[in-house]
Amino acid sequence: MSEKTVQQRQMWSIFFFLGLIMINFPFLQIFNRTETCFGIPLLVLYLFIGWPLSIGIIFLFSRTLELPDEDKPSEKQ
Amino acid sequence: MGLQTISIIVLIYFLLLFAVAFWAIRRRQQGRSLISNAQIYSLSLAVYCTSWTYYGSVGRAATSGIDFLTIYLGPTLICFSWWFLLRKIIRISKEHNIVSIADFIASRYGKSTYLGAIVTVFAVLGIVPYIALQLKAVAYSFNLLCSSHANLSAEFASISLPGHSQIDTSFIVSTLLALFCILFGAMRLDSTERHEGLVAAVAFESIIKLVAFLAVGLFVCYGMFDGFTDIFSRFLLAFPERESLLLISGDNVSGGKWFSMTILSMMAIMFLPRQFHVMVIENSDISHIRQAMWVFPAYMFLLNLFVLPIALAGLLTFHGDTQLADYYVLSLPLQHGQTALAALVFIGGLSAVAGMVMLESVASATMILNNLIMPVLLRFQWQAQNISPLLLNIKRGAIATVIFLGYFYYRTLGETEALVNIGLISFMAATQFAPALLGGLYWHRANHRGAAIGLIAGFVVWFYTLLVPTFVEAGWLSHSLLYDGPYGIEALRPTALFYLNNLDIWSHSLFWTLFFNLGSFLTFSMLGTPSPEESSQAMRFISVATWDSSREKRKRISKAPTIIEFIDLMAKFIGEKQANKAISDYLGDREIDERGSLSEYEVPSLKLFTEKTLAASVGAPAARIIIENYLSARGSKMEDVFDIFGTVSLSRDASREQLSVLYEAANLISSGDELKTILDNILDLLYRQFRFDLCAIRILDEDHQILRVYSFKGIDSEFLSHADREVNLDTCIGTTFVTNKVVLANDSDCADKPVSMAIVRQHNIKSFAHAPITVEGQPIGVLSSYSRFAKGIYTDEFIELYKNVAAQIGIALRNAKQTTQLIAASEHEKELHIAESIQLGLLPKQMPQIHGLDISGICVPAKQVGGDYYDFFLHPKQQLLDMVIADVSGHNIGAALLMASARTFMQAHSQQTKSAPETLKILNHFLFSDLSHAELFITMFYLRYDLKRNALCYANAGHNQPLVYCPQTDSFELLDAEGLILGILEEVEFEERCITLKPGDIIVLYTDGIVEAQNSANELFGLERLKNTIRDHYKNSSQDIIDITMNAARMFQGRRHFQDDVTLIVLKVNTTPHSGHPNE
Repeated sequence: MSEKTVQQRQMWSIFFFLGLIMINFPFLQIFNRTETCFGIPLLVLYLFIGWPLSIGIIFLFSRTLELPDEDKPSEKQ
Repeated sequence: MGLQTISIIVLIYFLLLFAVAFWAIRRRQQGRSLISNAQIYSLSLAVYCTSWTYYGSVGRAATSGIDFLTIYLGPTLICFSWWFLLRKIIRISKEHNIVSIADFIASRYGKSTYLGAIVTVFAVLGIVPYIALQLKAVAYSFNLLCSSHANLSAEFASISLPGHSQIDTSFIVSTLLALFCILFGAMRLDSTERHEGLVAAVAFESIIKLVAFLAVGLFVCYGMFDGFTDIFSRFLLAFPERESLLLISGDNVSGGKWFSMTILSMMAIMFLPRQFHVMVIENSDISHIRQAMWVFPAYMFLLNLFVLPIALAGLLTFHGDTQLADYYVLSLPLQHGQTALAALVFIGGLSAVAGMVMLESVASATMILNNLIMPVLLRFQWQAQNISPLLLNIKRGAIATVIFLGYFYYRTLGETEALVNIGLISFMAATQFAPALLGGLYWHRANHRGAAIGLIAGFVVWFYTLLVPTFVEAGWLSHSLLYDGPYGIEALRPTALFYLNNLDIWSHSLFWTLFFNLGSFLTFSMLGTPSPEESSQAMRFISVATWDSSREKRKRISKAPTIIEFIDLMAKFIGEKQANKAISDYLGDREIDERGSLSEYEVPSLKLFTEKTLAASVGAPAARIIIENYLSARGSKMEDVFDIFGTVSLSRDASREQLSVLYEAANLISSGDELKTILDNILDLLYRQFRFDLCAIRILDEDHQILRVYSFKGIDSEFLSHADREVNLDTCIGTTFVTNKVVLANDSDCADKPVSMAIVRQHNIKSFAHAPITVEGQPIGVLSSYSRFAKGIYTDEFIELYKNVAAQIGIALRNAKQTTQLIAASEHEKELHIAESIQLGLLPKQMPQIHGLDISGICVPAKQVGGDYYDFFLHPKQQLLDMVIADVSGHNIGAALLMASARTFMQAHSQQTKSAPETLKILNHFLFSDLSHAELFITMFYLRYDLKRNALCYANAGHNQPLVYCPQTDSFELLDAEGLILGILEEVEFEERCITLKPGDIIVLYTDGIVEAQNSANELFGLERLKNTIRDHYKNSSQDIIDITMNAARMFQGRRHFQDDVTLIVLKVNTTPHSGHPNE
């Protein structure tokens, strides 16, 4: 396994666990308040901003991925 | 909206689906696959969003609050792992032609049939309620749309027509869906379980449901209200007591529940049978993951964007009534007279239902067919010629069964509150597959017992903690079960197992199911040892990227089926056309031997290929059973190839091992030991190194044309290790020798020589091989080895080595033969030296010194033992000098001995002064028997020179005529007399002649060696040249004349050597000789 693959794998793991923490208790408790921001409850706002952000991260990272040779698209369909 | 309009819309929609599916199939047949792109793949994954998402999310948001999001946040998170986890699963599945999640788990644990069955049963149990939920959603939404009013208390399960008959909407939808699935999900038994039409339809549906939901969301937010902020502020104003819906607090949502649901949804997206099917089995290209991992979460995000606003809007619109909160999506546009939008929403919901039901039923049907029915069918239906149509019909039946099971579940349990959380119950069921599947991906020790017990434990607890409470609520079971526990045992209360009563029902169930599932999985995996088959599968799964199939322990098949038989077998299950295509793809790049079949070691890989191809249609466990049954029915067996090279079987190491054996053999050969010892040691080397039971060398006895046992090591038996073999084709050894080729039997049962077979059977030999021992390409013997231990030990590599060892033995034999010849030659040489010295000793060491006579002589043997002889006998009293020159035919010892004996005779008789003819006569008589016995003869010239009278008398026994040169007259006289060669007749009379010599005369005696000396033009030196040389140098001393003559002859010959012995005696009469004192 190349250095780059190992690094990628570790990055994915870190993001996965970071995400798991950030959408769970007790982290969510930070936003679990009745206050609103721009008229939208804080928790709703947090989740609906955090979610597309994480999708954005996946998008950015997926662009850096390179397929190993054995997974290159084949002609057989 | 009228019933007719809706029916027509539904019909049109279904036609559209059919069209899309047909189009996809057409495109595939044209080789331009529609679904083979990352967008379609991502959209097809959105089958995750069922009607439960479409209608249920809103309902859940309105009743239980923001926790509906966890169902989509979890999958978003797991997308982070897809590049490694999903890619690995897909790669394995492609490698093994996996067709379902049950197949995957069964395949990982040694293609275990019962594990596949367990997974199938639980998967179907888990999803039937889920299908019921979908049908319920269709029925409700259809009827809601039909009645065209938003009377929330109405009964929407069925609809009353003017004629008071009831239309069962869900039944009609079920039938339509079943038809669709059978058409596109079970068109044929494919060698790859992929359904392009189905996937295209699902992707199309995903677009429809997203568009419809976004449309209704936009309408609610901006048509009915003034954007998000407006909805939230109005909601908080109208229902301040329901603020908790927007928070994680209180009874509805706790931190633990939130976490449990995140985990559940993560597992569901991976292991729900339809998700597994669409993600893994229908994946056409691994690289599609790269795009799907962000497109799919983005899709879920968009679909959920308006869920909360719609829910709150519904609560506001219907004054907080949540009885039909699930259908706010539909009732809100209806309430505002937007029937067209409502119809679109209905179609979107129908899409969500159809996609889920189609994929789920096809995936389940595949599992049911492969993991439940096939194993049973294979036991009873084995004799059927072609069961592929039957299999196809069973699959169709299974699809319909799954859908209608859902329908009946809905009809019996559907009207209770029980369906509300049925989606999560399915999620919990899917989660039970996680330990076995994920553990199997990364943990070597994970074995089938652990997996099976874990799964069973998980499902039992699942049933008890989730389904039993559902049944209680449906009124099937007493409420006391829930509150007091079974038989009043409080510890076993289904929702508070072992007094765990402070968790919500989901966290409670998740904890206990995983506790028992994972616990059993780990414990029993640790305790058990995986079987070889299972270990090999584990290796292939865990190190799928680095797995090198050549590292597999080699197997062979005894009584292996031919290619044609494999094709026939495949054709039975997948049809002839598919079978032929598969096999031609397979054979494309493989070598086929001269008989049109695969080599012995290709057959196991063909077997593996056949199994994989079948697995694509019937699943791995069934494929394994098919192959095993087939092979055992033929009496074929898979056998381990005995690892002849010890522990290392890698080809590189093997060649190193080979080299070391050859090196040792070469060392033995060059050791300088005796041949017998060398061969014994080589046999011993083979015997020890490869653990044979007998090794033997037979060498051809040329006189009797029999292969005689020269040496053996191992079994001491009269027929095997002592028996000589004739050179013919009756025995394997004879055949080896005659054909000069290796004859081997990896399975002695298959030997084709009756004689050999009988012998081999008697000694319980399992396999044997014979290699010809050759010297310069010609066979001179046979090297044999026998093993009682294992069949199939003679791999191609080993045979190469074996041939090399036989060749080395050949070299040893050749060396030995050459050594013998060398020794013989050197002994012969020694003998010749002795003979030569004896012979030289026979010749006079000194010339007689007689006054007035100048005598010289030379004898140059052409070979080491000469056949020439000359001698002088002086009789001082009588003043006589006898001279003799002789030539015996042959140059061997025998000739030399005869000459010696002749000399002895003459020496003995020399004192008797008999005349020359008399001497020859006696000598002939004496030698006759010896000469004729030895087939030799002697020519001899005998002269007696009377010194007093200068008279020379002589007799000839066929010898070259001596020359007498008279310088005064410059003339030559040839001395001749009648006489026969010695040894021809016993009694021969010899003539005596005499001449008188004058001073100056030169007598030259010679043997034919000088006159027959040849030059390169094959001219003879001849008498004339001899004469001329003498004439030219008559003044020189006799010794000089000899030297000059010899030089002249040598000059004449050029590079050549004398062919025959050369003897030359020159006697020069200087003055009248006086008697001297010759020294002899």
